[in-house]
Amino acid sequence: MSAAPPARGVPGRTPVTPVVVRLKLSLLRNGLRQSAGRRAAYAVSVAFALLFAALLLIGLIALRGTAHATSVTVLLVAVLALGWAVMPLFFPSGDETLDPTRLAMLPLHPRPLVRALLAASLVGAGPLFTLCVLTGSVTAVARGPAAYAVAVVAVPLGLLLCVTLARAVAAANIRLLTSRKGRDLAVLSGLVIAIGAQVVNFGAQQLGSAGLGRLDPAAEVLGWVPPASAVGAVDAVGEGAYGGGAARLALTALALAVLLALWSRSLTRLMTSPDGSTLPGAEQGARDRPRSAGLGRLLPGGRTGTIMERSLRYVWRDPKTKAAWVTSLAIGLIVPVFNALQGTGSVYFACFAAGMLGIQMYNQFGQDTSAFWMVALTISSSRDAYVELRGRALALLMITLPYATLVTVLTTAMLGDWPALPEALGLSFALLGAMLATGAWCSARFPYSIPQEGYKNAAPGQAGLAWISIFGGMVAAALLCLPVIALGIWLHVTPGGGDRTWLLLPLGTAYGAGIGVLGLRLAAPRTARRLPEILAAVSKG
Amino acid sequence: MTEGSAGAAAVRVRGLTKRFGEQVAVAGIDLELPAGRFIGLVGPNGAGKTTTLSMVTGLLRPDAGTVEVVGHDVWRDPVEVKARIGVLPEGLRLFERLSGHELLTYTGRLRGLPGAEVDKRATQLLDVLDLAGARHKLVVDYSTGMRKKIGLAAALLHNPGILFLDEPFEGVDPVSAQTIRGVLERYTASGATVVFSSHVMELVESLCDWVAVMAAGRIRAHGPLAEVRGDAPSLQRAFLELVGAGSRDAGTDLDWLGGGAG
Repeated sequence: MSAAPPARGVPGRTPVTPVVVRLKLSLLRNGLRQSAGRRAAYAVSVAFALLFAALLLIGLIALRGTAHATSVTVLLVAVLALGWAVMPLFFPSGDETLDPTRLAMLPLHPRPLVRALLAASLVGAGPLFTLCVLTGSVTAVARGPAAYAVAVVAVPLGLLLCVTLARAVAAANIRLLTSRKGRDLAVLSGLVIAIGAQVVNFGAQQLGSAGLGRLDPAAEVLGWVPPASAVGAVDAVGEGAYGGGAARLALTALALAVLLALWSRSLTRLMTSPDGSTLPGAEQGARDRPRSAGLGRLLPGGRTGTIMERSLRYVWRDPKTKAAWVTSLAIGLIVPVFNALQGTGSVYFACFAAGMLGIQMYNQFGQDTSAFWMVALTISSSRDAYVELRGRALALLMITLPYATLVTVLTTAMLGDWPALPEALGLSFALLGAMLATGAWCSARFPYSIPQEGYKNAAPGQAGLAWISIFGGMVAAALLCLPVIALGIWLHVTPGGGDRTWLLLPLGTAYGAGIGVLGLRLAAPRTARRLPEILAAVSKG
Repeated sequence: MTEGSAGAAAVRVRGLTKRFGEQVAVAGIDLELPAGRFIGLVGPNGAGKTTTLSMVTGLLRPDAGTVEVVGHDVWRDPVEVKARIGVLPEGLRLFERLSGHELLTYTGRLRGLPGAEVDKRATQLLDVLDLAGARHKLVVDYSTGMRKKIGLAAALLHNPGILFLDEPFEGVDPVSAQTIRGVLERYTASGATVVFSSHVMELVESLCDWVAVMAAGRIRAHGPLAEVRGDAPSLQRAFLELVGAGSRDAGTDLDWLGGGAG
């Protein structure tokens, strides 16, 4: 739209930088023009980012002179850099100028192109935010004129390094990001943020209770890692360590040079080799992987093994299923272990792992999407349905049993409460069995669709069904565990019973197994009777 | 696997009805499909073809009516029916995170075939359908034509007596279409029954020897191709007459269109 000068000159002589910067601005403007909602969302998010940046800036300047200023700023910059590194992987569609293959038809030399793209990358709320954080950080740690002089170099260096990092990562992975695998990866991104939030939350709690001094060793190391080393340099010079300061600054500059070189190399490769989309099946031969044998050999034969194999493959290959599993595995580990770390934990928290993983048994057929018809056509009796459900439960157990055991042992080890281990394990297994039972029944009774795109886990109009299924099921599972829990309490309150809590391991395991099988038996005829209804319910995604 | 001689009914449908809310998708149809024929179920979009085929194959529960496949009730006797039919539905996914070969292995084993036999059949089907080169590629990365072909392979794997295909040629390139055709012709030549739906009349005319014409949830005509076609020069003409679209003439409307005027 804006007037770029007609590029008739010798390639490389025309200034590319203003053109690319204007292109970026146009893309931004046109993107916002599409809808008022998008405009509003953008305005609000930019306002928030800038407000946050301003507060951060003020906060960092206020930190000036305090004992842990260096540690906090160094860590902050390191986290920010990490954000820049992973951003293009999870939000590949965010910036079209990130995709250099779109410029492949233009006669551009890599060097001016890198310069132009770098300049374009500096336009936007992200770089402005980073600039605020960096400025605040160096202000917080700078002491003396020499330090300020270094800061004048360190801030732009750090900013360029962050932006280059994002560009280099994007260019190196562009093939991946524009393919189906890239879109699969994007489904997982919400998850990384969720788990990251858990870790940050825990870290903040730790700091709240243990003091900022805990950060010092980590900051000591990170102060040498670019781009946090830029802040480290300012700090070192402020303390009079000119040699260390110069070394850190040099390290930052070196990292920038290396990243620029790497980026330039991937750009050249991308722009001189054919686009991935025009090379159908070129890699097919290479991907001829006869690898199914390994997994198949471990599993039982017949229908059971076939079902287990498919279920386990989906845990790994289907982004939605994988995201659900990783969430369960992570939360199942984080809750008991972090609580144990904080000293507020109990061995019984380890049951959380079994509970979280048991959720995966819910909505089994929804996980199939409308491909459930392939299953439905092979179920003609309650027996078939039973084998189908049992296969899925066994696949689940292959992961959950070892994992729940591991988490329980780990939690026990951290708390040093070894006598409680058998009891906690017994409770875990009983809960797992109850979750499998209710999960199988809910799969047959309350199936719902899982949309394959985006972050939603239930199709529009079926969210209520999903809540009923999962929460009702979990409450039911807890109630089903009551006999085992009651036995545990009874053993604890009975004089001398405390020595016999190990009984809960065999009894809980047997109870879990029994109730699991019972649940499958009850769910099977219901599944066999309701095949068309289940298919209709899971095909809405 | 063929049961009964030609002329006996492979599928017998009585009073089959399905409503979605206010809309009547299938309005009580009666139909007998002869065994050993290549049968086309034709009709415009929204005629109820997919709904009918879904109910006949047991994937959708009818509001009323009965369906018998080779004499067995689809809903009361699923064991007998499901072993005898192969299905390729339209608009439903496959297990797309499996490779082509894995999908066939999975389907075959669920159907109760022994491992070695599944492997042999899968390899042969992949070869015949030109999918051998893509057998280790995930189905999610397949093109439309490849998906139809792998779906057909999965439907044929257990050598069913009757094959139900919903729009098997929709969105398929000419080369894949020819391959699918070849496989289906070979299959019916051995005495098996194929029932497929389509709205492409030329295709149905060249492939089928028996057709049923559907429109607005009802069967308008059925019988051997020549009988349904009657005096009309092509099935297309006969079909347009049957569904009441034959007399519509675009001649007087849009008279401004064409000729490069202005």
